[in-house]
Amino acid sequence: MEKQVAVVAQAQTRHAADIGMPKERMLFELVKGLFDDLGITRDDIGTFVICSNDFQAGRTISNVFEDTPIGAYMKDETKVEADGLWAAMYAAMRIMSGNYDTALVVANSLGGSEFRPYLVMDYQLNPTYDRQLGLLNELSTAALQARSYMDRYGMTETQMDRIAAKLLRNAARNPYALQSKADATPEDIAASEYLYEPLRKLHCYPFTDGACAVLLASADRAKELTDSPVWIKGMSSSIDSYYLGERELFGSRSSRLAAERAYKMAGIKQPADQIDVAEVSAPFVHQEPIITEALGLFPEGSGGSVAERGLSEIDGAMPVCPSGGATGAHPFSAAGLIRIAECYRQLTGQAGEAQVADASTAVAHGQDGFCAQHNAVMVLSSEEG
Amino acid sequence: MRNVAIIGVGYTPVFVSKRKDVNMVEMMSEAVDAAFSNTNLKPEDIDAITFGNMQTFEGLNLPHLWASEHIRALDKPTIRISTGGTTGMSTLHAAYYHVASGMYDVVMAVTWEKQSEGDSQVGLAGIVMPEAMVMVQNGMDLYGGRGVGGLGGGSTGAASYQAMSYLSHYGAEVEHIDKMASLERTNASKNPYAHLRKVTTVEDVASTPFIAWPLRFGHTCPTTDGATVAIVVSEEKAKKLADTAAWINGIGCCASDPCTGNMIEGQITDPADQQACVIAGKKAYDMAGIEDPTREIDMAELYDGFAHQSLLWCEKLGFFSEPAHKMLDKGALEIDGEFPVNPSGGVFSTNAIGASAMNRPTECALQIMRKIEGEHQVPKKVKTAVAHGWGGLFQYVTVTVLGDKPRKR
Amino acid sequence: MTAKQERVVAHSVVPIDFTYNYRVGTYLEKYIQGLGQKKILGMKCSGCGKVVVPPRKICGMCNLTMEEWVELADVGTVENYTVGHVRVDKGLLEKSDPPVMLALIKLDGADALLAGEVRGLKPEELKNGLRVKAVWKDPAEDSLADLDHFEPAGKGG
Repeated sequence: MEKQVAVVAQAQTRHAADIGMPKERMLFELVKGLFDDLGITRDDIGTFVICSNDFQAGRTISNVFEDTPIGAYMKDETKVEADGLWAAMYAAMRIMSGNYDTALVVANSLGGSEFRPYLVMDYQLNPTYDRQLGLLNELSTAALQARSYMDRYGMTETQMDRIAAKLLRNAARNPYALQSKADATPEDIAASEYLYEPLRKLHCYPFTDGACAVLLASADRAKELTDSPVWIKGMSSSIDSYYLGERELFGSRSSRLAAERAYKMAGIKQPADQIDVAEVSAPFVHQEPIITEALGLFPEGSGGSVAERGLSEIDGAMPVCPSGGATGAHPFSAAGLIRIAECYRQLTGQAGEAQVADASTAVAHGQDGFCAQHNAVMVLSSEEG
Repeated sequence: MRNVAIIGVGYTPVFVSKRKDVNMVEMMSEAVDAAFSNTNLKPEDIDAITFGNMQTFEGLNLPHLWASEHIRALDKPTIRISTGGTTGMSTLHAAYYHVASGMYDVVMAVTWEKQSEGDSQVGLAGIVMPEAMVMVQNGMDLYGGRGVGGLGGGSTGAASYQAMSYLSHYGAEVEHIDKMASLERTNASKNPYAHLRKVTTVEDVASTPFIAWPLRFGHTCPTTDGATVAIVVSEEKAKKLADTAAWINGIGCCASDPCTGNMIEGQITDPADQQACVIAGKKAYDMAGIEDPTREIDMAELYDGFAHQSLLWCEKLGFFSEPAHKMLDKGALEIDGEFPVNPSGGVFSTNAIGASAMNRPTECALQIMRKIEGEHQVPKKVKTAVAHGWGGLFQYVTVTVLGDKPRKR
Repeated sequence: MTAKQERVVAHSVVPIDFTYNYRVGTYLEKYIQGLGQKKILGMKCSGCGKVVVPPRKICGMCNLTMEEWVELADVGTVENYTVGHVRVDKGLLEKSDPPVMLALIKLDGADALLAGEVRGLKPEELKNGLRVKAVWKDPAEDSLADLDHFEPAGKGG
């Protein structure tokens, strides 16, 4: 990558089922906290990229009342929908263009207290057909995807329970997570009720109120702002067909293409060796093997075996979602940005009890659409290189 | 800083109140096909796609997902932008940054709206209703002297405050709004891609009743179904792929306060003050190297949902050394005048909201490249054009300066 | 300050309900008319030869407008399925008892899988490879609801 961009700070709310305050105050406190920690003000920010969703917010142009609390008043701002990882990529492009030295990315969603995430997803369905039939929804489509992977590769429900249990245990080490259980076992997962088979409640993300802010800066500015910038080495996205009946649900073509492009930019040829930690957006735990395999981190179809052997644990060969991932907290628009924030914490040695030892290169992933129709990947490193 | 240009544009064959013959994604596919046809490009030539509209109008969340096949986005980096009325220009700016970053060389910006799918005031009411309802439920009296009566009629109510303030600040009369309306509708009659294309005299406009003084029915824009696509490229690709290009030499954006004229939460805000427009304009001019906007710009396409706005934006963007309404009186703003404003007919004549703020720079680009289809090509040579968009609660402004040559580095 | 003045309003409920009126386009219109005649219509792409259902305008991979209509059989094979113990109604989960069975069905003649509800069997009998047949609404309403659901093809001979 020619013009280097780095992550210099992250902030997250303590994600909650009900954040207990108006959105504007949530955003103000979040961003003010980030500014105060760095010793900067909104005057130091060149451009703002917001990620939020009109349907979730219950208002058109959801950024209208989000600008002022994040410091964008009378400044350059824009809004990306889809997911926070795309917002971060766009912000990075703005810096790479040379027009700006700093970009603040702020993503939020009150999916716990404000509006129902499943309905936000329903509004994404083709309204002339799928919404009329009422068969497909976020849960039923995810269940079909889980079954597709399990049928093809033989992953069992118990192995899927292991993934969920791992994520709950990891979330217990994450001060921001809303849902966690320090000693979670596969049996705990199996005790939760079936929603759409084979998915049980604890295989699915919790409804979350939460926000995340990430500050990006150009190389020179980054070094002024922090001693430990985390460099964006590669980034890209890709999109699949909307039509579920025409997709191979056991894999993720768009994750694979996005990763290939991001790895090429980053000079990564052997991701399984060169990536130290991965944060993927998997609102349903069966998506963790699908996406990580598409990212080249594990062999195709190995999800069951990976779960059995603990390879994706914090102390495993390829730690995946040491933060607890979407199982710990999943505010709709912020999900992918939180994955970047968590990679930043890992690569700066700030992940506390979830710290992966000697992590210097990470991959963050974000998704959008039913069964991850649309995917984005970012490679981050503590080495400027 | 990399130079970036628009080399081609695609519009849906028509912009009309109701496209009954197509669904949303089919409508978008038409503009994409037109863009390919106008540039001789194919999907494999496109490196990335930016996509935007104002989704509450169709009740469809994240429409790029359903649209992926129809906009030929499969396997491509795709991003969705959504900023309300400025969406069209924000989506173009995103395409600009995709190229300016150095990551991509050929980017397709897709913007659209199919307003006929929903109640036309749906999207706009969606902003104010949550606030208004909360206030009502908590016993606040919205009707006593707070002017929320102006909310009736959606943004027309709010715009009437802006129009009144504009007239008062600049010494213009209602007759000037009538004149601007007539000018733009007559321009639109020459534009096959405009929606309201009836030649309209000043008397025709002045005979329409007032909605809320000083705005008449004849001063308001339509709601339209349509889509607009722009192909945005790097300098190297512009040379390879096209014989002419319109260079994006300056961009600016500013977000002001979300208060609409003394209404919400007791904020005193003059919706004609528009500091955001002044700031965004200055940013765009600085980037483009424009030192004197009264001399260095040839024409403008301005986002006027209401006819008085063309005159207001002329003032805020500093185009003239005398008041805009006097330039109007002199005939200077006509297509064959010294400073054509909205030769396309503006948003005032065509308003597929998600596309409206991109139609401004695409029309400027076509004027510069002299590739206007229709009779509204301005006769004078266009070296520099300004495109403007506004949105939100009158608080978002985006500005783009386009030129016939790349900015001197 | 009285107790009443100290009361803090924590939440306000705002019901917003808009009605939309969607144009389905000519492809889906013809599909719906076909359902009214107990016919399931698909489209074949002249580029890749794939047959999709329901029909649509563009084949994204080939960048072609599809033009060839294909009448599909009303029987097919289950290739994926889920048993739902809940329904999602306006974003809320409601228990579904009996469970709802949803399948992705490869109709004979099609390449794309069609989503459909399957009835007339126990959940444990729903498996990949099961042959299913469309059950039509009678009289027809000329709507998507005319293809009411699917049931095992062996049933009723």
